Amino acid sequence: MEFKLEAHRIVSISLGKIYNSRVQRGGIKLHKNLLVSLVLRSARQVYLSDPCLGAPGAGGPPQSPPPQQQQQPAGDPTSGWGEALPRDSSMEQDPEPAGASSAASELPALPLALGKRPPEGSPPPRAEAVPEAPRRRVEAAEAERGGGGEGAPEGPPRARHCCCRRLGCPPHGAPRADCGCRQRQDDGAPPPPVCPRKRSASGAGGGPAGCLASGGSPVKKPRRDSEEQPGEEEEMETGNVANLITIFGSSFSGLLRKTPGGGREDEDGEEEESPRGAEAEEPGPMYCDKPVLRNLNPWSTAIVAF
Amino acid sequence: MWLNQERSTDILFLFGYTADIISTVEFNHSGELLATGDKGGRVVIFQQEQENKTQTHSRGEYNVYSTFQSHEPEFDYLKSLEIEEKINKIRWLPQKNAAQFLLSTNDKTIKLWKISERDKRPEGYNLKEEDGRYRDPTTVTTLRVPVFRPMDLMVEASPRRIFANAHTYHINSISINSDYETYLSADDLRINLWHLEITDRSFNIVDIKPANMEELTEVITAAEFHPNSCNTFVYSSSKGTIRLCDMRASALCDRHSKLFEEPEDPSNRSFFSEIISSISDVKFSHSGRYMMTRDYLSVKIWDLNMENRPVETYQVHEYLRSKLCSLYENDCIFDKFECCWNGSDSVVMTGSYNNFFRMFDRNTKRDITLEASRENNKPRTVLKPRKVCASGKRKKDEISVDSLDFNKKILHTAWHPKENIIAVATTNNLYIFQDKVN
Repeated sequence: MEFKLEAHRIVSISLGKIYNSRVQRGGIKLHKNLLVSLVLRSARQVYLSDPCLGAPGAGGPPQSPPPQQQQQPAGDPTSGWGEALPRDSSMEQDPEPAGASSAASELPALPLALGKRPPEGSPPPRAEAVPEAPRRRVEAAEAERGGGGEGAPEGPPRARHCCCRRLGCPPHGAPRADCGCRQRQDDGAPPPPVCPRKRSASGAGGGPAGCLASGGSPVKKPRRDSEEQPGEEEEMETGNVANLITIFGSSFSGLLRKTPGGGREDEDGEEEESPRGAEAEEPGPMYCDKPVLRNLNPWSTAIVAF
Repeated sequence: MWLNQERSTDILFLFGYTADIISTVEFNHSGELLATGDKGGRVVIFQQEQENKTQTHSRGEYNVYSTFQSHEPEFDYLKSLEIEEKINKIRWLPQKNAAQFLLSTNDKTIKLWKISERDKRPEGYNLKEEDGRYRDPTTVTTLRVPVFRPMDLMVEASPRRIFANAHTYHINSISINSDYETYLSADDLRINLWHLEITDRSFNIVDIKPANMEELTEVITAAEFHPNSCNTFVYSSSKGTIRLCDMRASALCDRHSKLFEEPEDPSNRSFFSEIISSISDVKFSHSGRYMMTRDYLSVKIWDLNMENRPVETYQVHEYLRSKLCSLYENDCIFDKFECCWNGSDSVVMTGSYNNFFRMFDRNTKRDITLEASRENNKPRTVLKPRKVCASGKRKKDEISVDSLDFNKKILHTAWHPKENIIAVATTNNLYIFQDKVN
């Protein structure tokens, strides 16, 4: 259990560092952010594999949030979310029980904020729901399912071993759906169903931004759609880290330029390193006023603005 | 000699200089000049006094010789990024004439500076007064030949070349080739080859940028030319590997000739294993037979003929291994320590925290920890060795790990190429030590 707490703490700290790196002088330091992202990945893996999660096996849990949450994203009418939620079906097909209701309950925080809906019917967001963690957990879980129940976009079963060490790819598990090691699925970045925010239609970064808030790595699709995407390559932004970085606004047409990444939200108000003070876009009453969602609000606000 | 334990360490504190945060320190090839760069973009050069015949117990002291602003802050409007003026590296060119040349670089731009002395000036112009005003030609009745007269020494620094716009990422290294005509500059993902005379183009020789940036797993952390082979250079990575490349093999040296990597000790695995294996500095020995790498906790010496493991490993501050999480939180784990060889390649030196620096004698296998601080050292006093107590009972004069000051770090050190004089930079101060000459 203490590993999980430690891992979570490290994830929080790491996200804070990535945020801070965005606002420091001289621009984002690629080396440091790469190292931080590696730590993030390690911590995430520990977090996922910790049996205290209550999930059946490592990395098992979070791919299928409880049904009420499934409905939410499925029905999410969030305007501007260009893509449907292909995952929804996969979610329902998922044979694995939402064992880690605790873990899974982190997920609803995202659609809740996204959908701007009252979070009724959804379990209270978890205190330590780092937005990134659930996203990755979902992906790992999906990946580990070996494609079964993944839904169409995932295609044939993936190779069991990820040949790359990208953030988000568990080294000994099946790679992420969007792992570059295998044939990329062009039609779908593998956004977990519970994070429709990811699909920012404008793709101007709201996607990635939101995506990162919900967990980072699988923001490829929106990023591809983003008109800033081509320009990003030469802008000192790595992929893994870029996902984390784009959220922090460099490609987000300036709207969220100074807003934090919504990186952390500890319900219990655990001290976070960064973004709170910098939040410029406190949304307002339309959102669930759970403290956990406070940090996610800037994204929603921006998305609304789009 | 230097680290003989039979007698106390005879290292004198000679000199202290307070500056903006020092970011690089480098002796020139003769050791007469010592250049420092700081966070404010300034370069300060010290010159060793000529040996005083009456004072035979020490070599000359270093005094300020020249100060100039090398880089200014810039703003990249396209990316809305400020470019720091901090000097990341200074490298001296070998002296070819009366003037001295050095390369200084910030994150994006390299500059070649000429430092020249002027100690004479022409006097006796016919058409100009001594203060520069022009004389009325009608008042000139006789002609004279202007002559040079001595004047107070003036040291001028002028930028001769500016090598810009070649790096998308942050420059971390520059290294001058042994041909003295070309040099390399390395950023996180690419290494470029320049000719010292040509500023409008450079040649890309290493590019590790993946087609899809999401697949990025490592970056370049340091690069250096071999001291003797003008076709050979090495670059280190954030994964703890060093690649040796031969420019004769192909134009783009993405494929290494040699790969130096030590397998990781699985018992030391932690969240932070990857960070602490990242190499922060790589330096060839003067002989060119060995190279030294510095990662967070250790210094490793590699024989260029053996790729699978280093020939020597020295632990700099192993007691920090159990503190990695705290060091991650306070960002200290990202500190990039440099390392250096002495002139004969028998001793290596690197910095640590609490203003400690460490020397390792490769022959005797002895090591020593010293502290650079004004409180403890008056000029010309002998430095006392320090010891950190990792655990258990702390002996007298030992310092416990928990009382180390992690804000006082020595990242930059330099060793005189010929003599036992070292320059050690704390955050704001430059210290110069030499061993006692009896």
